[in-house]
Amino acid sequence: MPVAEAIPVGQELPALVKELSQRRIDAYSGVRPRSIHSDEAWAREKGFRTTLAQGMMSTAYVSEMMTRLLGAGFVKGGTLSMAFIKPVYAGDRLTVHGVVKETRPEGDRTRVVVEVCCQNQHGEKTAVGTASGLAPSA
Amino acid sequence: MSEFPKLTYAALTVGEEFVSDTHLVTPEDIETYAFAVDDHHPWFSGPSPFGGPVAHPTLLGNQALHLRHSKYNVHAGLHAKMEFNFLEPVEPGMRVRSRGRVIDKYERRGRQYMVTEFVTEDEAGTALVRGQFTQMLIPEGTRHAGR
Repeated sequence: MPVAEAIPVGQELPALVKELSQRRIDAYSGVRPRSIHSDEAWAREKGFRTTLAQGMMSTAYVSEMMTRLLGAGFVKGGTLSMAFIKPVYAGDRLTVHGVVKETRPEGDRTRVVVEVCCQNQHGEKTAVGTASGLAPSA
Repeated sequence: MSEFPKLTYAALTVGEEFVSDTHLVTPEDIETYAFAVDDHHPWFSGPSPFGGPVAHPTLLGNQALHLRHSKYNVHAGLHAKMEFNFLEPVEPGMRVRSRGRVIDKYERRGRQYMVTEFVTEDEAGTALVRGQFTQMLIPEGTRHAGR
């Protein structure tokens, strides 16, 4: 994992692209009747055009991005805060972006704060927030 | 025999507490989650800096998110916000349980929300994950009308 000095503020992290198939949504949320995640008729009855992915799936994608950046310093010591601002539907393709916003000392390590967002295939932001974790200092 | 009343904004009380059942984290849980989120990090099935395999940090989020189902019959809802603090790695073989407390409820632009803080612990009571989340209630007989 990179030391904190090798993670400059403003660095853009490699984007992740995720295809949200109904099969993956089912594996995440389980298959139940009267669920907006797995019952298309119920989702339509509740006002959505089809089934939705759980917002939590987007937190998992950000977690993946942060673990790639910081490794163990995210798994133990990481934080994540996200707001889900648009529904993500089955069949959508999300791109997860992250930009290093701040680094600050924390004990003998450095906390790296990343501004994150998820965008759908139409370029609309579906979730926004921040995530952080600990990087070793040089 | 427990009763599961319908979850309504009126029925919900700030300060009320929830507790989940205990769940054994299995390799299959970790593998299924990896498939669901299309993330097959080698630490999920092999050695990691923590020794053996660890789970995806967000694996147990749904245990916390479903806490209200331990008391209520939930009609429908949407997840609006989520905060996690990952304190200790989650490992296969752990028996984990989440506890939660409603810390706020509010109405905004005609929509009803509840805010729950939670902690997920192993069987020794060690906190693994702390956080809070905001859920929108979709009352029976209504439509969300999209966002």
